[in-house]
Amino acid sequence: MDELLAVVGYKVRSSDMAEVAQKLEQLEEAMGNARDGISQLSNDTVHFNPADISNWLETMINNLDRAFEDSSSSDYDLKAIAGKAIYTTAARVKPSPAESSSSTRPLVLVDSQENGIRLVHTLMACAEAVHQNNLSLAEALVKQIGFLAVSQVGAMRKVATYFAEALARRIYGLYPENPIHHSFSDMLQIHFYETCPYLKFAHFTANQAILEAFQGKNRVHVIDFSMNQGMQWPALMQALALRPGGPPAFRLTGIGPPAADNSDHLQEVGWKLAQLAETIHVEFEYRGFVANSLADLDASMLELRPSETEAVAVNSVFELHKLLARPGAVEKVLSVVRQIRPEIVTVVEQEANHNGPGFLDRFTESLHYYSTMFDSLEGSVNSQDKVMSEVYLGKQICNVVACEGVDRVERHETLGQWRTRFGSAGFTPVHLGSNAFKQASMLLALFAGGDGYRVEENNGCLMLGWHTRPLIATSAWQLATKSVVAH
Amino acid sequence: MKRPIPGDGDGDLLKMKKVKVDGDADADAEENCVLRGMRYFDDNVLFEVLKHADARTLAMASCVNKQWHKTAQDERLWELICTKQWANTGCGEEQLRSVVLALGGFRRLHSLYLRPLSKPYSSSSSSSSSSSSPTSSSVWGPISQAPVAPRPKPLPPRLGKDAVHLSLSLLSIRFYEKMSNFNNRSR
Repeated sequence: MDELLAVVGYKVRSSDMAEVAQKLEQLEEAMGNARDGISQLSNDTVHFNPADISNWLETMINNLDRAFEDSSSSDYDLKAIAGKAIYTTAARVKPSPAESSSSTRPLVLVDSQENGIRLVHTLMACAEAVHQNNLSLAEALVKQIGFLAVSQVGAMRKVATYFAEALARRIYGLYPENPIHHSFSDMLQIHFYETCPYLKFAHFTANQAILEAFQGKNRVHVIDFSMNQGMQWPALMQALALRPGGPPAFRLTGIGPPAADNSDHLQEVGWKLAQLAETIHVEFEYRGFVANSLADLDASMLELRPSETEAVAVNSVFELHKLLARPGAVEKVLSVVRQIRPEIVTVVEQEANHNGPGFLDRFTESLHYYSTMFDSLEGSVNSQDKVMSEVYLGKQICNVVACEGVDRVERHETLGQWRTRFGSAGFTPVHLGSNAFKQASMLLALFAGGDGYRVEENNGCLMLGWHTRPLIATSAWQLATKSVVAH
Repeated sequence: MKRPIPGDGDGDLLKMKKVKVDGDADADAEENCVLRGMRYFDDNVLFEVLKHADARTLAMASCVNKQWHKTAQDERLWELICTKQWANTGCGEEQLRSVVLALGGFRRLHSLYLRPLSKPYSSSSSSSSSSSSPTSSSVWGPISQAPVAPRPKPLPPRLGKDAVHLSLSLLSIRFYEKMSNFNNRSR
């Protein structure tokens, strides 16, 4: 017996589920096409044992059948009905995990797929239970999810497992320790960098905007809010080195959280970049800044030089959304950025709204988002990288679902929301050029398993997505009062 | 198989070598001189010839023997191949050369990034010929075991600026990744 339906009072065998679904469809069609109304269904039809849905449906359909044709056959064949065919071959389609919960018609599926649908429904039901604080039901459902998840393969299984774990943490109050050790998450990010093009896309598109803003300047300064391993900067330095007329003097200020083992990893990264700079003959200066939160920064700490001598760019890749956990933090940071008077501010963020006020909405959004993300990872070749990338994403999932308050830092917002925020903070958009688009497209073409990736342009911003779903967005900004410099 | 094509001069040298070997035992030193001389001569000729080869031929040439391998790996040859292929990048030759060589060289740039980027277009071969194509197919006749049917060699398409910039960026990232400690992910 199917357990979920049993909870609400119906008795259906799990093996009959597909058939029941098909009959429901037929009944629906039949009722829709009934010319003489369906009152006879309520008046004349006799049901025995209505809890048995299968039989109930048979009875209903037979009755409708009789309403059309005088010649009723005991084992009905709806194909025989003249006029509009009621019996349509239900398409047997396997839904991709990302689309299953948003498909408009429930489809009849081959048995092995029915668990996928049930899995998604159970996840949603569990989230709803949590949302309504019905923790005992949530607990029961979370265990269900575990069973259903192992019946799946590939992306769906992994996503379901991570979401189940996150839900369990929320239900039992076992919040993950925060902050996560930075060296571990650095390492995870490196694997993520290698496995899929999201970070590379982010770096390439941001660099292109920075390069254009730095045209004609002799001394340039980049302030990076997302230093990590400094992977973004070799390419920029190389492009500056090959500038016609020679490279400008390049200064880099890298900002990052403190390392768990107290090592000065920001300095190490700086050394490596300095070595690279020397190899390609670019004058290089570096300063590393450790800060728990970007909101702790002040313009005065950054040793800014007069803007006539030095052009500044501010860069943030997947860092700004974390500020939304504390009220006022993002406004403060944006005002500090304004004080810096940069030529350009490049921002890359996840394209999703995981910061809505209601838990259930957040859950649904993130389920869609991460299902698509995991889907896109499936094509990657290196299995170790892939597993690490999944862990990397799994931590984000855990944070979105299980944490609250200041601990919930993965507060992703959509491009539209960031546009509003930047607009009201005194910035105007800078359109990314078509060469950024072209380079991004070529980068994806080079990527193994890259058939599903799509680059889209959205009002001057670039978005990278998997099939029809955009997943990350790059945008560029300048101060509103700035006069337009001819590039 | 390893005899370079401009036949006559080398043929004579080879005969000379044989004569020397048959001669005195302590003609060793002299023999070495001649051999070295011949190799020196070979290298230059080989280099000049390979200048006209396309990327695929050059890569194949480096599989022939040690001498050919050494010559075919010469960065100057690959620099020619790369720059022939792309539109003007705007920066000076010297500038480009110093940066690319520092970051890993033209051969890597080509095999890792330029070639994969030109692949999608390799089906459309342009008919405008550069001097290399017809001559190379006859020059390398014995090398390429392909049937004699004269198939027009698909010319490497000219890569746009964006493809070039992308390749250079990827090369620099690779260089950075390979720098000391980077692959030490156990940190």
